[in-house]
Amino acid sequence: MHILLCCAAGMSTSLLVTKMEKAAQEQGLEGKIWAVPANQVNQHIDNADVLLLGPQVRYLLSNMKKLGEEKGIPVDAINQVHYGMCNGEEVLKTAINLVNTK
Amino acid sequence: MGKFNSVLEEKVMPVAAKIGAQRHLLALRDGLIATMPFIVIGSLFLILANLPIPGYADWMTSIFGPNWAAKLNYPVDATFNIMSIIAAFAVAYRLAESYKLDAMSAGTISVAAFILTSPFNFFFTPAGAEAGIMVTGAISKAFLSSKGLFVALLFAILSTEIYRWVVKKDIVIKMPAGVPPSVGKSFAALIPGFIVLLVVWVIRLLVELTPYESINGLVTTLLGDPLKMVGLTLGGTIVAELFVTVLWATGLHGTNIVKSVMEPIWFGAMGDNMTAYQAGQPLPHIVTQQFWDNFVHIGGTGVTFGLVLSMLLFAKSQQMKSLGRLSFAPGIFNINEPLIFGLPIVLNPLMIIPFVLTSIVTVIVTFIGMDIGLVAKPTGIAVPWTMPPIISGYLASGGHISGAIMNLVNIVISFLIYTPFFKIYDNAKKREEDAMNAGERKNIIA
Repeated sequence: MHILLCCAAGMSTSLLVTKMEKAAQEQGLEGKIWAVPANQVNQHIDNADVLLLGPQVRYLLSNMKKLGEEKGIPVDAINQVHYGMCNGEEVLKTAINLVNTK
Repeated sequence: MGKFNSVLEEKVMPVAAKIGAQRHLLALRDGLIATMPFIVIGSLFLILANLPIPGYADWMTSIFGPNWAAKLNYPVDATFNIMSIIAAFAVAYRLAESYKLDAMSAGTISVAAFILTSPFNFFFTPAGAEAGIMVTGAISKAFLSSKGLFVALLFAILSTEIYRWVVKKDIVIKMPAGVPPSVGKSFAALIPGFIVLLVVWVIRLLVELTPYESINGLVTTLLGDPLKMVGLTLGGTIVAELFVTVLWATGLHGTNIVKSVMEPIWFGAMGDNMTAYQAGQPLPHIVTQQFWDNFVHIGGTGVTFGLVLSMLLFAKSQQMKSLGRLSFAPGIFNINEPLIFGLPIVLNPLMIIPFVLTSIVTVIVTFIGMDIGLVAKPTGIAVPWTMPPIISGYLASGGHISGAIMNLVNIVISFLIYTPFFKIYDNAKKREEDAMNAGERKNIIA
């Protein structure tokens, strides 16, 4: 599964990426998890199965959801508590659920 | 408390979301981001040209000759000092992209439009000369740098909007029968650019009839200067910071949202200071992009570096202890999302108070420190916002110890304001944890 994360500069979401990768490894999930600044989502979305937004850029959620619809992938914002505590496992769960219920 | 949060969520957030996602403002912000790598690269050369080490200048002269500093400034002129051209391209590119138009065409047309706005004749005072001379058939590099920034941004949007209008109208040139269709298409592709440049040219001719003489003069006098006058004062700066922190308090990226409105002003001020610094003149502005990145937002928005220290020193609850450890490394690089969402500061009135208060106090102290000359002003040297504090203040001030000390003072202020609030919060967390543990124990016994 290819999970794309985005926030303003792609910095704080990259913190989360490491934690999610660890959780994915433990679960034996294959794929790629990576973080980009919101303005580069366009160049990356084609390679993603799901797009997750840092809660601080959820003002872009409706724009991104539109983009996700065009590309046929689910888009959502990350839960603030999971984000703050860098809870890779929970965010990974969110991503998997989004892809499965699409 | 509930009411406070619902006001934030229902009133502030939707407006912020609209501004944050507004097409033109997004394009401005993303377009300006494109200039940043060049500005930082230029800054590296600028630092090398002005290293505040005794004996450095003599040493450089002995190796590279007396003109070494001027030579180090070549790359500065080719990066930092063309920020308006890069912005003209990048803003139009991003805006066209959001309209799903041909971004490359829109970008290149915008550069042509921007150059068309620049005066080709101007007064230039050579070094040592008494009076200026009229230079003709040239473009002043000042217009390609910060002096042209407002014009570049404005015309990037204008030209892309005209471009869009022309494409939407689907204007085509009817070729007589027998002409291959591709020939007609190749002419049609020229129409949007032609109309954009025609409009800008007519605007230029009209403005040349007025006392403003050039589009640049007009925009600077009517828009740039007044915006700088309001936006760069202590009052304007406090208001901007209030918006930044209140938006973050709702969990939205306040810095980014406010930036989309204020960044042209802060970038312009940065460029103005850089130009003055390069020329060895007094720095005109206090508030530049670096005022925020390298002086005020230490540890992240809300000046949370002191809060992290307070957590490491005083946290009693398990949750705060582990969050303090988690937040320290990102905090050194001025990233504080773990705190904002993990503590949380978002929608947590007890922590919002010091979050806003610390920000405003540090803005005021830093501004006044620079205004009365105790602290060196930001030179325009662009230090990335992820540069750890103390080093960042030192570099951004052009190698003044006072810049590093200012960082230190702001960390102390942050520590002092946050600590009492954090202790109350941490105690409550500790009680929660104790109650939970006691409850669990009871269950085990039962």
